[in-house]
Amino acid sequence: MGCNASTLAKIHNVDELILETGFSSSHICHLYNRFHSLDKDDKGLLNRDDFQNISELAVNPLGDRIINNFFPDRVDLIDFNSFARTLARFRPVENSPKKEPDSPEPINSRANKLKFAFQLYDQDKDGKISNNELLQVLRLMLGVQVTEEQLDNITDRTIQEADLDGDNAISFEEFKKSLEKVDVETVLSIRFL
Amino acid sequence: MVRLLALALVGFLSSRELAVSSAGDASFKTSEAHSNALDPRLHNGSELKVFTFDYTHVQAPFEIALWIMLASLAKLGFHLYRRLPAVVPESCLLIMVGLLVGGVIYGAPHQTSPFLSTDVFFLYLLPPIVLDAGYFLPIRLFFENLGTILCYAVLGTFWNVFGIGLSLYGICQVGPFGLGDVSLLQALLFGSLIAAVDPVAVLSVFEEIHVNEQLHILVFGESLLNDAVTVVLYKLFEAFCQMPTISAVDVVAGIGQFFMVAVGGVAVGIVYGFIAALTTRFTEKIQVIEPLSVFLYSYLSYLTSEMFHFSGIMAIITCAVTMKQYVESNVSQKSRTTIKYFMKMWSSVSETLIFIFLGVSTVRDSHDWSWPYISFTLFFCLLWRALGVIFLTSIVNKFRMNTITFKDQFIIAYGGLRGAISFSLVFLLDDFPRKKLFITATIVVILFTVFVQGMTIKPLVELLEVKKTRKAPPTVSEEIHCRLLDHILAGVEDISGHWGQHYWKDKFQYFNKKYLKTFLIRGDKQPNSSIVLFYQKLEKKHAFEFNESEELIRPPHPPGDCQKPAPSVSPLLPDELDSIRTILTRNLFHIRRKTPAYNRHTLQRDGNAEEMKEILLRRRQSLGGNLTRKRGGTSESDKELSKEKRLTRSHTVGSEHKPAVEVAKPLPSDIPASMCATGAGGMENGPGLNESTQSPGGSTRNRRDKPQKTLSFSFQNETQE
Repeated sequence: MGCNASTLAKIHNVDELILETGFSSSHICHLYNRFHSLDKDDKGLLNRDDFQNISELAVNPLGDRIINNFFPDRVDLIDFNSFARTLARFRPVENSPKKEPDSPEPINSRANKLKFAFQLYDQDKDGKISNNELLQVLRLMLGVQVTEEQLDNITDRTIQEADLDGDNAISFEEFKKSLEKVDVETVLSIRFL
Repeated sequence: MVRLLALALVGFLSSRELAVSSAGDASFKTSEAHSNALDPRLHNGSELKVFTFDYTHVQAPFEIALWIMLASLAKLGFHLYRRLPAVVPESCLLIMVGLLVGGVIYGAPHQTSPFLSTDVFFLYLLPPIVLDAGYFLPIRLFFENLGTILCYAVLGTFWNVFGIGLSLYGICQVGPFGLGDVSLLQALLFGSLIAAVDPVAVLSVFEEIHVNEQLHILVFGESLLNDAVTVVLYKLFEAFCQMPTISAVDVVAGIGQFFMVAVGGVAVGIVYGFIAALTTRFTEKIQVIEPLSVFLYSYLSYLTSEMFHFSGIMAIITCAVTMKQYVESNVSQKSRTTIKYFMKMWSSVSETLIFIFLGVSTVRDSHDWSWPYISFTLFFCLLWRALGVIFLTSIVNKFRMNTITFKDQFIIAYGGLRGAISFSLVFLLDDFPRKKLFITATIVVILFTVFVQGMTIKPLVELLEVKKTRKAPPTVSEEIHCRLLDHILAGVEDISGHWGQHYWKDKFQYFNKKYLKTFLIRGDKQPNSSIVLFYQKLEKKHAFEFNESEELIRPPHPPGDCQKPAPSVSPLLPDELDSIRTILTRNLFHIRRKTPAYNRHTLQRDGNAEEMKEILLRRRQSLGGNLTRKRGGTSESDKELSKEKRLTRSHTVGSEHKPAVEVAKPLPSDIPASMCATGAGGMENGPGLNESTQSPGGSTRNRRDKPQKTLSFSFQNETQE
């Protein structure tokens, strides 16, 4: 399973994909091979089960939600292009200063990376992280020794810190602001992408 | 205060050793004076002595034991004073102790200072360290970077050897330095022994700086694999020094020899690895000899390959890597722990002894100092290493997905420490006029690299890292969100996979599973699914923990359950904030560690095992919830929810309702095998097993009822896959 022109030929709209995601053709090839190795039944598409087969995701507390992020609403199968597009968000950010002001935001920009994280919280897709959604995620991430009361405290505090317009929920803008000191570009970048 | 005590103890011991050895000498002489071999318990053959002192009888093992005790006490002493190991790496401290002891011995009258004899080093001190390194090698990472590592090891060493050798020769030709008697071949010979990066030194220094795992494996892998090149070049040049003329045929023979050394070493290692694995297959009744067989076979592989003048290091590493997965499946839990612990113990002692002896051997009479030679040696070592790394990296980066940045290159170049291997090789040289000069130069280079580079590499690494200037401690939301981001990263990295040669890995895994494992692993321990093993272990653990801990998992609230009234926006008190922070730091799940870090001092304890257990149980819970939803809820599911701790309960649910399992989300069908071991094994087995778990082996399991009844749940899953 090498990486060559024939592999590239199998992908739909390869050039468009390359342009949109910013991957090089060899990266696309490698991703394609990975896509196929995940695709056990050779359907050409991935469903959630294929993701579940990745063993390390089972012990990731947010594993299920991350998998869900790959699947847009009500869709249960994804093809390679959307797989690549989602992964493209995690490309390291290039420090190219010259950018036309009206060009579309690159897929791996800081905002898009943060959007991925935001979507993990915001399950009902209303554009806000409610108290409840935050509580759920916290419960996923914390061990058992934490009592309900403590969880509520932490949730309240988190929302308090971020909530600027007083609606007791965190919008995407507020989310971005609360993370302005964090070097998201480095944290959410995978080197080999 | 305690440190002083420890040092005083060390000093006392070493002087006592002096005393006993000199006393030993004296008694030996007097007994020789009595030409008849009299039993020392008799005095003049007529009286019976009540109290005797017979040192010569126990001299050799006694001194060895004293040295080892000195080594361990020195180590103990350093760690009592906590700040010291942070600043000065342990290797430096040990060399300093060695220098101290060497000085003491040197000052004593009729003592010849003990020095690191080459045989002792190569046959006794080096193998445990290399075995330890090979056994705990992160295999997947190693093979992913194998190309790069080989490039650095082979090409890099060649580059260094010829660079250093030729430039030193050039320096020697310069008249005023007075070094004209060093021939080209001798210079090249010196280059070959000084160029190689030493695994012992690298391990001990890199253990304390925490570079990313890829960098670590690059430098470390290089230090291990360059042994083949070093051995060949060293022997080649040594032979060439003897030969009057050198023809092209000899050079070709040299190249052929390189391949033979490398391939031969690996082959010997593989053979012994398989024999060891096969042996452990049958040791069910005599479990106490299992650790012994592991160590014996590795040591034998080393000795065998040294016998043929192959690369012993490569043999022992290959042996350890080969036998590890089979042996770990075959032997009992206690043996596994014993093996790991003993390995750590021996390698730790060995390393300490090596560094102490290095220090001791430095203090000798016969040094030949030549400023230009030594300073230029040092200079060229650094220069050629840097040039070599830069040059090779630029080539290698074209083939890699994951480019090596400048920072990495700097650390690779700077982390090229020389150590005891060069030292022993220089002693092994035949005597010729300039040998002392070479010895001195080698010692200087070793001391420089270990002390200067070893001590400064940590601050430099920290300097090169991107510094996040935080004025205020992170807010609670930042902490939470950052942890979220880390989990995301880990998850997406796992999804995007690791870009190794999947094709060959798949092929090997298939071959491994089909043939090797069935042959080499005991019948009842065939690891068809490591999730089975994992749950077995979990159950054992639960049986112990049942009475002690509280309920493990809270049932998850269904969504929308806890609508709260809008909280007041009053700022929390600082101590409440602190308490929140401590709750978070203590309880947030950790990111999965990809590779175990090397730790010379302890077996790495897999702190994540508890967390992973919890996460997995929660998932099973939610799966159980899925089951009940599909079946419309029964009383068994309630029992399941209330007694989550007893896995048996949930398993029996599954076994009764086979068809329901099909619709449930299948459990991830394998968990990395490392979670099974109490000490962290290699996570590297995980993705490899990914492909191999959908196995017909599940069906064979079903036939065996008794102990496996509890695990039938997961079996159903696998048979459905």
